Amino acid sequence: MRVCALSELAPGEGRRVELDPPVAVFHTDDGDVYAIDDTCTHQDASLADGWLEGCEVECPLHASRFDLRTGAVDAPPAKKPVRTHEVSVEGDDVYITLSEAAPNLPPGVGAPTGGSAPSTQGLA
Amino acid sequence: MTTTDLPASLIPTLPGQHYTDRNVFGLEQSRIFEQMWFCAVRAADLPTPGKFEKVQIGRESVLVVRGRDGGLRAFLNICRHRGAQICTEDSGEVKRAFQCPYHAWTYDLSGKLIAAPNLTSMPDVDRVQYGLVPVHLREWLGYAWVCLADEPPSFEEDVMGAVVERLGDLESIDRYDLDTLEVGRRITYDVKANWKLIVENFMECYHCATIHPELTEVLPEFADGYAAQYYVGHGAEFGDDVKGFTVDGSEGFDKLPGVADDQDRRYYALTVKPSVFINLVPDHVIFHRMFPLAEDRTVVVCDWLYTKEVVESGKDVSRSVELFHRVNEQDFEACERTQPAMSSRAYARGGVLVPSEHHISAFHEWVSARISG
Repeated sequence: MRVCALSELAPGEGRRVELDPPVAVFHTDDGDVYAIDDTCTHQDASLADGWLEGCEVECPLHASRFDLRTGAVDAPPAKKPVRTHEVSVEGDDVYITLSEAAPNLPPGVGAPTGGSAPSTQGLA
Repeated sequence: MTTTDLPASLIPTLPGQHYTDRNVFGLEQSRIFEQMWFCAVRAADLPTPGKFEKVQIGRESVLVVRGRDGGLRAFLNICRHRGAQICTEDSGEVKRAFQCPYHAWTYDLSGKLIAAPNLTSMPDVDRVQYGLVPVHLREWLGYAWVCLADEPPSFEEDVMGAVVERLGDLESIDRYDLDTLEVGRRITYDVKANWKLIVENFMECYHCATIHPELTEVLPEFADGYAAQYYVGHGAEFGDDVKGFTVDGSEGFDKLPGVADDQDRRYYALTVKPSVFINLVPDHVIFHRMFPLAEDRTVVVCDWLYTKEVVESGKDVSRSVELFHRVNEQDFEACERTQPAMSSRAYARGGVLVPSEHHISAFHEWVSARISG
């Protein structure tokens, strides 16, 4: 599936693609393009909003870093890897093939919506 | 007692309560410090992106930070989510963003909200609108001046105008090239006195011959009690046998390159209301920033500025620093001695100003007009 034009994605930047679950596409300073699940496996945060350094992206919330090539995470608080998706670039078009593995989504993300009203009891 | 009861030589000060009353100080915070241009940080103290300083201006904690684009910006130090203070340290460096330690709302160096837990499922939350609250910032003389007012007063009239009023023109201060000078020494004084006592002290020299023996030795005309700020454009001349503006009158450094011949061997002092004092001497500049923190407490940060060459070569600045450091200590001791008397019944109606202090009355009128709205 085509996700964006390469010319729309400056080197060093990432963008979120609104799929279910969302995917992040990154263009590294070396000119490579990678796609991973956009949601940090620890808490609902967009990795496309994080910081790209080399072939790693750091989550903007709690600084776990994910390897774009393998999806592996370097250190807590995230413990599970993100999925990686196959990328091909044809001319200016970026295509991805979604992984068929089950995603590692954080609690509360991708869960069925609706249901009972939030509790008014304290949580903390 | 009313004004008319006083002999013509004397005019009244403010009543003592103006120096001790929390409500008066509250009005000064909201109507003076939070409305005017306030000198916050030395720009060169934040040389690279992510360096920040936290300053207290009126009732507000303010962050000044160097952005990725090299520009300085200032923000209220408050998370837009639930109001926690973003930074508690006085200065430091963030790598890429400010993050609230409470719920991890994360802001980039331009103040924009860039991440927060579950933010992606709240697409209606505008990341600029819910960014850190920006405040106005101008750089001048190598310092970042910030203004918390929605509509700041004219910087040209209020800040530059104060310099013109005292020196006659802007060129006179431009010659000292303050933005290219470097900090050779910085001393921070925590003064247990109301900020107005410090301003008033700086404005007059009736006290000079009594408490500033070293300064009066270098600037003999100060013994007549008329301050350097009394006459527009006047700079006090060094004594004949004085070689430099140093604690013992010994040689200083080379004259700053831009300083004119008629500014050589002279000392100029100026006040930029509400919180800055500047002293210009041929080979350096002494720049005071005041931070009024309570009705009886004011932090004064004093920078001694020299040419890059003097600072980098490691030349000994101690004799030139020592002169005004002693002056500061002598002045602040006098202010701290005065503060407790402000609540005495002996000072309930205030004190008096002698002719060489009469110009301080204009400061009192200015403060009174501002706080009365």
